[in-house]
Amino acid sequence: MEISKAIRRVDNDEKVSGIAKFIADVKLEGMLYAKTLRSTRPRARIKSIKIPKLPNGYFIVDKNDVPANNRVKLIFTDQPFFAEDVVNYIGEPILLVVGPDKAKVLEILEQIEVEYEDLEPIFTIEDAESGTKPPIFGDDNLFADYEFTKGDPDAAFARAYRIIEGEYRTGIQEHIYLEPQGMLATYEDGTVTVYGSMQCPFYVKNALVYALGWPEDRVRVVQTTTGGGFGGKEDYPSLIAGHAAFAAIKTGRPVQLILDRTEDIEATTKRHPSIIRHRTALDASGRIIAMEIDIKLDGGAYATLSPVVLQRSMFVSTGPYHIPNVRVRGRAYATNNVPRTAFRGFGAPQSIFAVEMHMTNIAEALGENPIDFKMRYFLKKGDDTATGGSVHTDVKLDEMTRQVIEMSNFYEKFERFRKEKGDTVLRGIGFSAFLHGCGFTGKGEEVIKATAKLRRRDDGKVEILVSSVEIGQGAQTTLRKIVAFALGIPMEDVVYENPDTSRVPDSGPTVASRTVIIVGGLLEQAAKELKARWNESGEIEVIKTYRHPEYVRWDDEKFVGDAYPEYSWGVNVAEVEVDPVTFEVRVKKVWGVYDVGTPLDERVVRGQLEGGIVQAVGYATIEVMESKNGKLMQNTITDYIIPTSIDAPEIETRLVVSPYPYGPFGAKCLGELPMVGCAPAVAAAIQHALGLKVDEIPARPELLLKKWLEKSR
Amino acid sequence: MVNAYRPSTIDEALRIRNETKALPLAGGTDLMVRYKNWAGLPPKFSQPVMFVAHLHELKGIEVEGDELIIRSATTLTELLKDGRVPEVLKLAVKEMASPLVRNIATIGGNICNASPAGDTLPPLYALDAKVVLRSVEGERTVPIEDFITGPGQTVLKENEILCEIRIPMDEFDSIFYRKVGTRRANALSKVSFVGLKNLQGDRIDDIRIAFGAVAPTVVRSRDAEKMLKGIKIDEIEQIYPSIEAKYAELIRPIDDQRSTAEYRKIVSLRLLRFFLLGKAD
Repeated sequence: MEISKAIRRVDNDEKVSGIAKFIADVKLEGMLYAKTLRSTRPRARIKSIKIPKLPNGYFIVDKNDVPANNRVKLIFTDQPFFAEDVVNYIGEPILLVVGPDKAKVLEILEQIEVEYEDLEPIFTIEDAESGTKPPIFGDDNLFADYEFTKGDPDAAFARAYRIIEGEYRTGIQEHIYLEPQGMLATYEDGTVTVYGSMQCPFYVKNALVYALGWPEDRVRVVQTTTGGGFGGKEDYPSLIAGHAAFAAIKTGRPVQLILDRTEDIEATTKRHPSIIRHRTALDASGRIIAMEIDIKLDGGAYATLSPVVLQRSMFVSTGPYHIPNVRVRGRAYATNNVPRTAFRGFGAPQSIFAVEMHMTNIAEALGENPIDFKMRYFLKKGDDTATGGSVHTDVKLDEMTRQVIEMSNFYEKFERFRKEKGDTVLRGIGFSAFLHGCGFTGKGEEVIKATAKLRRRDDGKVEILVSSVEIGQGAQTTLRKIVAFALGIPMEDVVYENPDTSRVPDSGPTVASRTVIIVGGLLEQAAKELKARWNESGEIEVIKTYRHPEYVRWDDEKFVGDAYPEYSWGVNVAEVEVDPVTFEVRVKKVWGVYDVGTPLDERVVRGQLEGGIVQAVGYATIEVMESKNGKLMQNTITDYIIPTSIDAPEIETRLVVSPYPYGPFGAKCLGELPMVGCAPAVAAAIQHALGLKVDEIPARPELLLKKWLEKSR
Repeated sequence: MVNAYRPSTIDEALRIRNETKALPLAGGTDLMVRYKNWAGLPPKFSQPVMFVAHLHELKGIEVEGDELIIRSATTLTELLKDGRVPEVLKLAVKEMASPLVRNIATIGGNICNASPAGDTLPPLYALDAKVVLRSVEGERTVPIEDFITGPGQTVLKENEILCEIRIPMDEFDSIFYRKVGTRRANALSKVSFVGLKNLQGDRIDDIRIAFGAVAPTVVRSRDAEKMLKGIKIDEIEQIYPSIEAKYAELIRPIDDQRSTAEYRKIVSLRLLRFFLLGKAD
């Protein structure tokens, strides 16, 4: 399609040249700086806070300065903006010191003495499960506890010829967006305006309205050029937007709050670590007749988005496979760790890792090639999903798998590497197949009812009015392209500014790979209507509100039906080299074939695919984050290691297109998909190279050496 | 706030150092990180600072007799470009940090930082390098293993500046270097290993082995090296257990944010075995 051809990204020049202004670059007249006093204890009662005498022009902002509700409004309202009587994680904000001179602000901060009375902390899922320590959240210490069943798993297990079990673990992952979190708030004429780096302007606005108890028209949120998000700027910005806003209201001056990198790593959200157990029932012919999956997530100190993360994790926990009988249990535990929340893939990378490794292990147990084994279970159009919904459009996994086998020469290498016994290198190759549910999970889209607006202005330009933001993923380019192509007008005639909640409708947050398929879909519809009305004179406004396609059925109580209106699909092959002396892993090459529907810009798509693969390679191998007594050991970018350009594998990707009739130009979802499914291909390749089970990521050399020595014993 | 000095000669630098105890700062790639402050504020130095990277007396590489002299403010990139710099030192430098950091980081800085994970150190220990320290009172030359006494600890006096590194121009037939980092660039070492060997016929004539990041200072055992000298290559296997035992005693790594003590120790010995016997298991 013409639209698929790559064009120059509209934000290319200002970002590459360094002209783009991020929130830390903004300095306003009379602006004050805020710095956060944070808890140094994982769980404690605050007995007293001793504050030195403040010089003129310096302020303390704390729980008493939150006008209405000292709670960040999200799914629950358990998280305070500022700690009240207890702290629940190291890094939790207690108060701000605000003033004109940064050195003085720091000096005051360092003089504040907090007296704590330590409480018994809960650090791990095992800790939380033991139930021996007082709960952090509710009576059972669970942010969510769900279960759903399809078919009759009990009967299937009862008649099983063989049951194969496995336990899989995934680690913490840190977002490491290029731009640390930051906000700037002003208070003028009774209105508070917050500018900053964010994915979801209306989440921030709604949180502020709730905290302030003010009418909506006195709260305004404006997104500024945002240097990456990956989910880390989904809910966290609401917390610090509150901080900046309360400070601006108290001082009557603009207040800037920017996190330094170490502060950002220590205090902001992470990907949920998980423990996932699989039990699979096979009949006498080796065919899978049922799966039982138990997912446990460590949610950290506050609920954030954990319940929905857990839902997505569960809904895709049988992978891209058609399994007749399924039971999935999921629990998200409260712990005294920094909160975990959204991160590219949103619970799916954990459960896809588990199911893919488990399927590989079943194939090995049956003495079969993992690809041949997995292919037999691929979902097809018309099949029912894990939640008993339906696959409504064509699935091209067979064709995609055939392509990736041919691209990577999988079979030949799979046999050859197994026979090689290198003294200086061990080679392995691994395969993974995966899917991603497009848009919000479950009832999400029904609740948010995304609204998008197109306006043809008096100057003839067409303006996109949505709350979706550019965070580096290409939204500025892609959404403009949709409108320009649908209207048949030049790209330059489409205007799309960073959203300002006083000007745009709520098209929902920039999350869940929903920006193109949902918001882009609304813009395509709006553009078509605008085109039909093009000859009208003067300004024209077209507003569209999202509704699922007719066929979507969902029971949010029982978790039955279409958890997603549509899916994108992917397959990966990874080839690795493991050093047999040190067990360092080098991911040599990753091949990927993806179906994201119609690509709306081939270079933007490739950027997302390659970036996602590299992020997943880091997740699978080197991104180690450990917590010792609630304190993160890797709190700098020196110690929290993500792949550099020379760690990144060679990457070869292809697209296979099964268009989505309700997506713009047939597009589906893209952003998360490559992150969701690559880690198990890498882990399977390491497993193949070493001949030992890789049931845990990151598969760091320390872990592999330990397993190697256990095996040799 | 502290004073910062920018002398124009080494003599002026030595005078300032003597009077103010100013901390010499060359590339600053360690010091600026160690003393970093809230963005927008100057770094939190606790003593005066003296810039030395521009002093021409501290720049350059030359040969004097059978010694290679590397002046202390020579950058890592400059080391890589010089044909006379020992290959094993280059192998280590090539894997340090990134090209940007190597362009300003200096060899003198890496030595004075005295990190257990300092990557120029194992090659310098193995090469029998010495450092030349100057002050207004004079000059002294100290073997590198006597210069560094512990993590971040050296015998550098408050009025001294490390001016030169002197390396005997020995040649080796076999040069083996391995850095085990957390990734392939811009990473600190978990373990590093240097193995140098000269054979006469099938006997070991000279052998040098050094380990980095697995003890408070670089591990080198002259005892173990003595045991290996004169031995036939195919006889190493017989005495290997006693060699390994020597090193196992000296290798005392820690658990930290980059690796575990267990991994560091086992991998050090696996590298030793690989170097001496050609296989790790």
